[in-house]
Amino acid sequence: MAAPTEIEPAAGPAAGPGERGGPPGARRGLLRYALAKLGGALLSVGMVVVATFFLFRLIPGDPAVAYTRDVPLTPDQLDLLRRQMGLDRPLPEQFLDFVLRALRGDLGTSYEYRRPVAELIGERLGPTLLLVGTGLVVAVTLGLWQGTRAAWNHGGRLDRFSTGISLTLWSVPTFWLGLLLLMVFAAGVGPVPGIFPTRGMEDVDAPDGPLYLLHVAHHLVLPCVTLVAVVYAQYLVVMRSSLLDEIGQDYVTTARAKGLRDAEVRRRHAVPNALLPTVTLVFLHIGLVVQGAVTTETVYSWPGLGLLFYEAIKGPDFAVMQGTFMVLCVAVIVMNTLADVLYHVLDPRVGSA
Amino acid sequence: MTRLGARLAALGLALSLAALPATSAQAQVLREPAEGKRIVRLGAIQAIDSMNPFLAVRVVSTSVHRWMYAYLTTPDSKTLAPSPDLAESWETSADKLTWTFKIRDTKWSDGAPVTAHDAAWTLNKIMTDDGAKTANGPAVENFASVTASDDRTLVITTRKPQASMLELPIPIMPRHVWEKVGDIAGFEAEQYPAVGNGPYIAVEHKKNAYVKLKANPGYWRGAPKIDELHVIFYENPEAANVGLKKGDIDWIGRLAGPHFEALAGDPDIVQWNTQGRRASYLQLNPGAATADGEEIGDGHPALKDPKVRQAIHHAIDKQALVEQVQNGLAVPADGSIVPPMYKDFFWQAEGDVRVAFDPARANEILDDAGYRKGADGIRTMPDGNRKLEMRFSIHTEDPVEDKLAQFLTGWLKDIGIGLTTRKLDSNKFTEETGSTALYDIAISGWSVNPDPEEVFATHLCSRRPTAAGEGGGTESFYCDEEYERLYQAQLVELDRAKRAELIRRMQQKLYTDAPVIALYYPNNLEGYRSDRITSITPIPEDKGILYGGSGYWPVYSLQAVATPAGPAAGGSSAGAVIGIVAGAVVVLGAGGYLLARRRRAAADDRE
Amino acid sequence: MSEATARRRGALARFWRDYRAQRAGLYGAAILAAAVLAALVTPLVTDPAGLDVTRATGEKMAPPSPEFPLGTDESGRSILLTILWGSRVSLLIGFLSALLSMVIGTVVGITAGHFRGWPSAVLMRITDWFLVLPSLVLALVLAAILGGGTSTIVLAIGVTSWASTARLIRAQTLAVEARPYVERSRVLGGGHWHVMTRHVLPNVAPLVLANTTLTVASAIVTESTLAFLGADSGQASWGSMLRGSYDWGAVTSGAWWYVLPPGLCIVAVVLAFTLCGRALEAVLNPRLRGVS
Repeated sequence: MAAPTEIEPAAGPAAGPGERGGPPGARRGLLRYALAKLGGALLSVGMVVVATFFLFRLIPGDPAVAYTRDVPLTPDQLDLLRRQMGLDRPLPEQFLDFVLRALRGDLGTSYEYRRPVAELIGERLGPTLLLVGTGLVVAVTLGLWQGTRAAWNHGGRLDRFSTGISLTLWSVPTFWLGLLLLMVFAAGVGPVPGIFPTRGMEDVDAPDGPLYLLHVAHHLVLPCVTLVAVVYAQYLVVMRSSLLDEIGQDYVTTARAKGLRDAEVRRRHAVPNALLPTVTLVFLHIGLVVQGAVTTETVYSWPGLGLLFYEAIKGPDFAVMQGTFMVLCVAVIVMNTLADVLYHVLDPRVGSA
Repeated sequence: MTRLGARLAALGLALSLAALPATSAQAQVLREPAEGKRIVRLGAIQAIDSMNPFLAVRVVSTSVHRWMYAYLTTPDSKTLAPSPDLAESWETSADKLTWTFKIRDTKWSDGAPVTAHDAAWTLNKIMTDDGAKTANGPAVENFASVTASDDRTLVITTRKPQASMLELPIPIMPRHVWEKVGDIAGFEAEQYPAVGNGPYIAVEHKKNAYVKLKANPGYWRGAPKIDELHVIFYENPEAANVGLKKGDIDWIGRLAGPHFEALAGDPDIVQWNTQGRRASYLQLNPGAATADGEEIGDGHPALKDPKVRQAIHHAIDKQALVEQVQNGLAVPADGSIVPPMYKDFFWQAEGDVRVAFDPARANEILDDAGYRKGADGIRTMPDGNRKLEMRFSIHTEDPVEDKLAQFLTGWLKDIGIGLTTRKLDSNKFTEETGSTALYDIAISGWSVNPDPEEVFATHLCSRRPTAAGEGGGTESFYCDEEYERLYQAQLVELDRAKRAELIRRMQQKLYTDAPVIALYYPNNLEGYRSDRITSITPIPEDKGILYGGSGYWPVYSLQAVATPAGPAAGGSSAGAVIGIVAGAVVVLGAGGYLLARRRRAAADDRE
Repeated sequence: MSEATARRRGALARFWRDYRAQRAGLYGAAILAAAVLAALVTPLVTDPAGLDVTRATGEKMAPPSPEFPLGTDESGRSILLTILWGSRVSLLIGFLSALLSMVIGTVVGITAGHFRGWPSAVLMRITDWFLVLPSLVLALVLAAILGGGTSTIVLAIGVTSWASTARLIRAQTLAVEARPYVERSRVLGGGHWHVMTRHVLPNVAPLVLANTTLTVASAIVTESTLAFLGADSGQASWGSMLRGSYDWGAVTSGAWWYVLPPGLCIVAVVLAFTLCGRALEAVLNPRLRGVS
């Protein structure tokens, strides 16, 4: 977990993954840049696959025995299973097989569910996307908005207050906050009624049609608030400090001197420039939101990837652990690369426009 | 916010909203209004692993399957002895190797008749298809052949006599539906309504969320008295408790002690506390060996000495364990591995045989046997070679075992034995305590079925690992001639009273030899809302289990009040409406804010 | 020599003057001092026997009373006592894993900044990889594979949290090495080792310090999260206390004295480290001082 720090913007625009080789400028440059990024991302994904394979081979014990759990098998049956699982072959061959299978989307079979891991992950993707997506949008909006206000009131009471609140929330362990919110707003304490559901994304009696969206939204509130509370501080801090950088620039002073209204200067000049490094960082640290989802989903029984991962650790169901780990890492890398390229397209200073 | 920010934010929102229809599509099932229906909602701290009974092993899944499909026999609601279910009657041949069952003339829920061919197909499938063995393979290991001689007659022949024949844990499946399935091991059985012949029919399963069952109107005993049974999965037991208190669910089974206690004080909640079907015990490595008698593992040599095992037994305050580790919600064990719930087979030590909590006596035994205490208070072997420093293996992620380890460490210190705790994940634990014998003392436990044959088999010589070190399912690495002889005798003893006597003698043997030390029998703890469930009969009827027991009696006996009519039906209240509105405000607010920003940004562009 | 000492003392005085101006940083430092003091004094004034379940004297889950100011837990042990002893474990794990993270991050950062070309490219590729990965997920996997224990937790947190330090240190190294006197030293025959340890390291050290302070904060949160998700050190820490309160139903039975104090301790200490780290940054980071 990265700390909310003001140093980050210093690395600012250059903090994207990989080396940023000079301002590309022209469209040809952009294409080359995008290709380089893509190559870097592919390399990262490759590293994830290699790391996953070897990490999970370090686990002591016989996977065949683990797979059969408590069911007593004859040695012949075990041998057969080992052959089926490819455990009798040399390690390089196993690795090749692992990579080829992963490329085909075959992530093995769950010990616990007796079903393909890829299928299990597919089922859980939607809820996680919903939670992380909504959480991210709300957190970024809140963070940027509060960060802008804080920077504009630099040193004032509002700045101290909103920065203080966000840093305090940032210091709270996600699961603890989740449990407290669950107790207060789902169970109800004293005069506070328990108006939110205690578990999951939907109930058995979920309504159809547009009401279904409301039903899910109702379930989404507490997990989303938990996730947002803990992560929005970093967006606030980054936005605040990069905006402070901008305010220190000559053009802002000039604009103010020309008699432009403060709000005008802020909206038209300072904020757009400060936004770019911030948005890059938002996506660079998307892993943080994803890991926040692991704990949030566990506390609220939210049927997503994070919960699947937690259950797999508890099992332990190594095939699921391995598959979920890979998918989470690859998703984060993809998001990063996308954001990085998008940033170059949109950046008025280096972009193609 | 600017154009860029707004674009990114809108993109994010669009992505997350796009995820919604994907999930709602799965929920496009016929929904009928809940008003006036009698619905019972059961909370489970576990989700279904598979709806395919050939594969499912979790308690929640096997329970649901018990309600969906008939078995050949079912435990009697009073005595738990096998009683007719799909099999109306049965007889055995003189050599006890051939069983003939008369199959009841009933119908599957799709109208097809139930025949002996369904049963024969199901059992043969498990015997011949490795993919179908996952859940219940061992139960048919001893079968030689299964045939249906006509629509009503099922004939099973076994290689050796099998006393547990009347307690087969296997649901009989409709052949006309299931024989079309090619690969059983890859079949999810997610087709609804599922074709069954139990008291309930599964009509919907939302993975990791719930299973919805409806009463089977054509059930041969008569339809259940409620309309629907919902099983709702929770990951977080605290949340399940809150759900019960709020009325989101009506019933939770298999509660942990602390969560059970937290239900106290609510006038509408019945705390159901009865004897359980589980025994918790310690395994002491008695000098592990393979089935061929070759020593394996690294157990502490002192544990080979029965005196040391007995001294350890004396050092354990089982009453304190029950109070501290189980919140007083268990029965301290003065016997062995069969819990008192099974009156027929239960055995309890009395008189001189009983090993009481007595640290002084433990110290005396060890002193007399030549284990001298050193300056640090830890004893050494009589030959002075090795200190009595031992390991205690427990599972990760288990607060009860964790707490138990803390107590055991304290007590063994008092008798001069050092103990360090090792936490192992369940795979590694099974391997180290069941096949490689890399343990000194380990925690263990077993849920005992009405027929205790399997739990006794786990202490047989033959269950020890093979020469290659592969586990055979031993729970103790125990190997004793007399125990072996008693086991074989009870196996073929079809007179229940005589068999029970043999089984009690086996337990006494285990108690005095102490390869395992029974600690306590955890109670079965449940809670249900009496304002919703008006009547439920446990199994056995006298202070028995509601959820997770064998058979379908409790859910079949359920009676509940009808869901009141009105807009806030289905357990929601005015609060839920407020909550929904609040949720909508959050989402719409965020979206609206972004849109407004975007529009303003667009206006900026035009300037 | 004396001149150098005086210069150093002068620098220290200047640092202290600047730091004092950071009010939030002062509060943070005060909380930290109190926490560290409590952790150090605990073994001198309390008896760890109170942590042994077989010797606990209180009622189970009893509310606060004069004898037990913060009540008792599920085995009748004093919450206050467990918090005091738990602070030692939480802080120790926080410090050790931040130390590990600092060492890896600094070595990688300076090396990548000093040696240009492919070694730098390779190191930065690895750093970026660690930077984007969900570190908690990786730490959980590591903890699950390595088994329990304090060293495992320290390793799992340290190995997954060094990447941002490395990036920062590399950028700073590049800036330092561009200075004329480093150039001069190199021309005069200063080897790689000389340049890295004599010129680069002293110049990046203050930033390393600020960054490490922030790393401790996140390490303590990560420790508690790992404990909640089932990977604990086997010793009583604030995180494992929260896990205990969850396991033993303190939330539903309304035992707030078991749920709130460990969580509030974590929040206070993590916030204190964060405030200190930010204050240090503000003082030590030339860019933020506008000196460039």
